[in-house]
Amino acid sequence: MWPTFAAPGLIWLVLLFLVPFYAILSVAMGTLDPIFGAAVPEWNPLRWDATSFAEVMNSTTLQVFGRTCAYVAIAGILSLFIGYPVAYFISRHGGRFKTTLLVLLIAPFWISYLMRMLAWVNLLQDDGYVNRVLMFLQILDRPKSWLAGESLTVVLGLVYGYIPFLILPLYAALDRIDRRLLEAARDLGASPLKTFLSVTLPLSRQGMIAGSVIILLPMFGDYYTPDLLSGSPGNTMTGNQIAFYLQAPSGANRGAALVILLSAAVSVLMIYYLITVARAAREAQ
Amino acid sequence: MAHPRERPASYGWMKRRDFLRSSAAAVSAAGFLASCGADNKSSGSLVKVATPDNPSTLQISDDNPPIDSNMEPEAGPLKIFNWNDYLWPKVAKDFGKEYGVDFEISTFYNMSEAVAKMRTGQVDYDLFFPTPDVLPKLVAGSLLQPLNHDYIPNLEANVWPELADPFYDQNAHYTVPYMVYSTGIAWRKDMVDEDIGARSNPYDVFWDSRYSGRIGIYDDYREAIGMVLTRNGISDVNTGSSKALALVEDQLKEMADKVKIRTTIDGAYAKLPEGQFAVHQSWSGDIIAAPYYMPGDDYGDPDGVLQFWWPEGKGIVGNDTVAIPKGAKNPVLAHHFLNFLLANKNALKNFSWVGYQPPVNAMNPATLVKDGYVVPNLESAILERKALDSDKQLLALPANIDQKWQNVWSNFKSGV
Amino acid sequence: MSGAAGAGQTAPPRRHAEWLANPWGRPRFLALFSWLYIVWSIVPVLIAIQFSFNAGRSRSTWQGFSFRWYTSDPDLSVLHNPALRAAMTQSVKLALLTMLIATPIGVGLAIGLARWRGRASTAGNLLMLFPLVTPELVLGSALFLVIVFLYTSVHLGTWAQLLGHITFSISYVVIVVRGRLFAVGKEYEEAAMDLGASPREALRLVLLPMLAPAIFASLMIVFAISIDDFVISSFLAGGAESQTVPMLIYSSARAAPNPSLNAVATLMLLLSMTAIVLGILMHRRLAGGDGQKGAVESFARLEI
Repeated sequence: MWPTFAAPGLIWLVLLFLVPFYAILSVAMGTLDPIFGAAVPEWNPLRWDATSFAEVMNSTTLQVFGRTCAYVAIAGILSLFIGYPVAYFISRHGGRFKTTLLVLLIAPFWISYLMRMLAWVNLLQDDGYVNRVLMFLQILDRPKSWLAGESLTVVLGLVYGYIPFLILPLYAALDRIDRRLLEAARDLGASPLKTFLSVTLPLSRQGMIAGSVIILLPMFGDYYTPDLLSGSPGNTMTGNQIAFYLQAPSGANRGAALVILLSAAVSVLMIYYLITVARAAREAQ
Repeated sequence: MAHPRERPASYGWMKRRDFLRSSAAAVSAAGFLASCGADNKSSGSLVKVATPDNPSTLQISDDNPPIDSNMEPEAGPLKIFNWNDYLWPKVAKDFGKEYGVDFEISTFYNMSEAVAKMRTGQVDYDLFFPTPDVLPKLVAGSLLQPLNHDYIPNLEANVWPELADPFYDQNAHYTVPYMVYSTGIAWRKDMVDEDIGARSNPYDVFWDSRYSGRIGIYDDYREAIGMVLTRNGISDVNTGSSKALALVEDQLKEMADKVKIRTTIDGAYAKLPEGQFAVHQSWSGDIIAAPYYMPGDDYGDPDGVLQFWWPEGKGIVGNDTVAIPKGAKNPVLAHHFLNFLLANKNALKNFSWVGYQPPVNAMNPATLVKDGYVVPNLESAILERKALDSDKQLLALPANIDQKWQNVWSNFKSGV
Repeated sequence: MSGAAGAGQTAPPRRHAEWLANPWGRPRFLALFSWLYIVWSIVPVLIAIQFSFNAGRSRSTWQGFSFRWYTSDPDLSVLHNPALRAAMTQSVKLALLTMLIATPIGVGLAIGLARWRGRASTAGNLLMLFPLVTPELVLGSALFLVIVFLYTSVHLGTWAQLLGHITFSISYVVIVVRGRLFAVGKEYEEAAMDLGASPREALRLVLLPMLAPAIFASLMIVFAISIDDFVISSFLAGGAESQTVPMLIYSSARAAPNPSLNAVATLMLLLSMTAIVLGILMHRRLAGGDGQKGAVESFARLEI
């Protein structure tokens, strides 16, 4: 009986998750119609041809990937430094505001990512509120073109877009920590800092890592944030390269090859995350 | 009659020119969809790429003849399949009133997507707006029907002769021309204290560090690379020469370093008038529509801020077409619509909203400005007849050359 | 990522004095920081909403209050611009369909995988998790290629988008429902069967009602992630008719937007808020006997 229950879902995932991955491989390993420039997928692995990989594995790709890693890493670290105190505060000191705070914390989930980016596009215009406030505070003496290719804008955009997805798992992890452990640490004479470092931090490690991975992975595949907030070649991420190749008339092979390379590059994170989740599931059982 | 004030600005992101050859705003089926659906069996007849020096005739086959003359128009509704925001609905409404029919406009965002949809055979549009480079495929795939010119006297009477019998479709077997455009440079007089057009090589402005951060080019590899080729006096704007493309790549890189270039799709018609750019590469139709986007709600450019330069004979030009799909349910009505579109009055009316010029005789620079279709300072954006007689047209590239172009562009866009 | 709906403790109410005197951490600094964060995360959106009521075309300079971009502008307002309304309809349609199809599939998969022991089930568990960790760009391009080259009878467009949305939604449903399954345990079913119920009856009469809150939460989450999705929707889009609101925002934010876009986004937000309030009310009813935990908090827990 139980396999029957699982069957529709499993069949679905095989047909629409595993097979598509095979299709990416087949396109990347396939050939190109010389007249039309159309990608011709090669379904037979024995005839796979890795030319496309050789074509995209060049220093440009690597440098763009390096930039992507830098953006993602900085955005991830910033998110953690901003997100941890917030999650900590709400779980530990939310008090009577806890529900309100949680509602506000969840709110961004109900506002589309693109909408939130659009809000920033408006704020960051030359005559937008950000410039006005900074000029009023005399931090700037003339408007800064935030949207004219600033790495800072892109990184902060990534942080803004993804941080809610980090804070919630972090909150859940912190909230799960048994208060009696903290009290025990206090009773044994640990200072607040020591309690935090030796009890809270280790116990929330799992949540930190899980939350970070959950925001790092989509950041690696992001192309719309730099598009909306910059549009300058200097801020291109790997996602933009993939998007370009996939929509160019004869770029599908190379786009597919880049997708595979990107997947391989982030698979360490993916596998780590899967192990974490599997462990959590076992514990829950 | 006024400027394209009735253009819904919210459609503006999908100005059709953006999609001409690639780079739609969102990733979608763009580009390779049409090609991947391309018909391998008929490939032999498709290898040839029509050029002005090497015109091509699209053959009419016996099993796909044009409709007979002197038939009554059908009852409609007329189904139109067009670029988004590339036909003033009011013009279609006028037609509907005249013929007592309803009409439906379906839109597409890029040519590949449109061709793919046509190929499914599950659509029954009466009118379709293809670019010249896809015509051989469409004809080989029997997706279009030949035209019966008896219904379209305006083609002969009103249309510029070069386009009434164009190089890509000799004798206009399958298409009538729709709009023409040029690609030049637009700038704001109040942010640029020079006449860019007066430079010995105006294209050098894209490498002038004085405009760093305030200058942009189209996010379109064909137009961008075509511009750099033109700057260097390389006459073949569809070149496959590795040497030429290497030079382009170097210069694009230099551009990125020197002026913090930005690539946009709306830079010319929207962000330039908004003051976010001082200089931007520009299609003629974009800049003609740009006064609408000047700040404030009074639609126009009273101070003559916007400027446009385009070198006749050296700068890129192009046009696109209207055709009747083979599966049209209302072919007679569709023929009448083609004739209607090419009537001077309707063509001008449509132009007032779309911003791109229809190649009809009634259109000449002097009257367009006088009649308020184009602000005086943008007179240079108006294309004259002889301008289309040019080999500076971006044509379909063979796949291997196309890949070279894409590599150049991708390397430039990577910003390293 | 824990979907443990049942776990967690409620903080005992604290008095203000205690809050200040709290020995752990620096609550005042933390409080300030957290509120600043909340302001940072919410205020841009509020300003965007404000500009949907702008009388002028600017989205950065306030030119007076009006409903121009909702109703009165004859061409550009949400009311009069069919493209905007079409995008909203498409988004809602996709989200509803995804919700209705992905949830039953996901619930079945969760129950099946939790109760079924064997190697296939282990593999299934792993497979189910992969869509969660695959960058959307990767999944989107994979689905795009498979539909273009292999499943050619599914044309790009609404159907393709629906398939894509369901694919990434199933895993979320499984995670949420599985959390609840673990919390419930097998005892109730076994008790029912001891009392003579068939496995099928035990499932229908005992387990499914107990899973109701999780199923309900799944519906809400699937609706939310589907309506927010941009990458998959745009990869699998066909013609203009398959444009969703996020796609609309993306394409027009790059090209001469006007406040009608803000109006669309505001309406979508209103819709989501209505849904979430309804959701919380329903959840409260369904989870009534479930304990003291507030509905909001259990939603927070359920979110990925």
